Amino acid sequence: MKTTKIARSSAALIFGPLLLILATAGSAQNNPHPKLKASAIQILMVQSNEVNLPLPFQVALYENTIEQVEKTHKFEHVYRDGDQAAAQVPDLVILHTNVYGFKKGNEEERQVLTVAGSTQIKVHCQFTDKSGNSELQSDVTGKVRFLGENLRATYDFAKKVSRVVSDNF
Amino acid sequence: MKMRSAVAPFVAASAIVVLVALFAAPVSAQDTNTLKAKHVIGLVGVKHNATGTLTIENGNLNFAKGNTKAAIPASSISEVLQGADTQRTIGGTVGTLTMLAPYGSGRFLSLFRTKIDTVSIAYVDTSGGMHGAVFVVPKGKGVEVKRALLAQGAKTTVPLDTGATTQTATQKSPGTKQ
Repeated sequence: MKTTKIARSSAALIFGPLLLILATAGSAQNNPHPKLKASAIQILMVQSNEVNLPLPFQVALYENTIEQVEKTHKFEHVYRDGDQAAAQVPDLVILHTNVYGFKKGNEEERQVLTVAGSTQIKVHCQFTDKSGNSELQSDVTGKVRFLGENLRATYDFAKKVSRVVSDNF
Repeated sequence: MKMRSAVAPFVAASAIVVLVALFAAPVSAQDTNTLKAKHVIGLVGVKHNATGTLTIENGNLNFAKGNTKAAIPASSISEVLQGADTQRTIGGTVGTLTMLAPYGSGRFLSLFRTKIDTVSIAYVDTSGGMHGAVFVVPKGKGVEVKRALLAQGAKTTVPLDTGATTQTATQKSPGTKQ
């Protein structure tokens, strides 16, 4: 009985401060900025002015981004590049993406050597309003390190963009 | 008994001829614009990495897998590019599971790769929205698909007569307004 009491008090001594530290860290991590509001987003086709990005990657980046942003359910509509209906939305947010780094890895190397052959796509993402004023900017990197085809890096990128959307809208 | 042994080779030969005819007939009757393909991404309503039939006819690119069908008017395609690549011979879930095989045999299996062609297209829907799609077709068929699409009214920035069998997107983005 006495041993149980000692164990309880020592556990409280150890975990009490730990919980306090975690709670403080959690509240410090809370985003101080208010969330952005928009009823619709238009996702523009991925640009690659600085690097030579193969069309399959460009297409996969664009399509995966649309799919993942739709899954966040943060917007009533997700419009594609060129969609005329987007012009009617007053509080439209436009997502511009520009690829500034691309390293095409090798799936074979990844499978055999594990530490080599990763694919990386570095993309600068900018959310603007209709008049072009920047509301949010973020650099996102899509990677595939171990398993999967090279195009899986585009899925990784899209998942990270959806996280940015979820955190800020 | 002798009679049987004399007839046996003829029976076997005729059986082979019949079998060859049975298997050869569908191939020769197959439309050159129809081929087995994998839809990697981009078609509305079709799952990623679905394997089905790609048909280019009547001014449309059609992809069908069972009851799921998608059609894109060739005239709405603003870019077609083909490329060469390789993929794991044993892919999918089974391919991933082979990584668990003992003594590094999974890694050894991943060295077996199949050459493939990729066909990437960018197209516009009725409301003006830009779409893109990527297909994997058997090696050497990428050029045929591109040629068939161009014949049906699709456009490209890299014409086929450049002689290149593999094309990379060195042109401006298909969504770039000019």
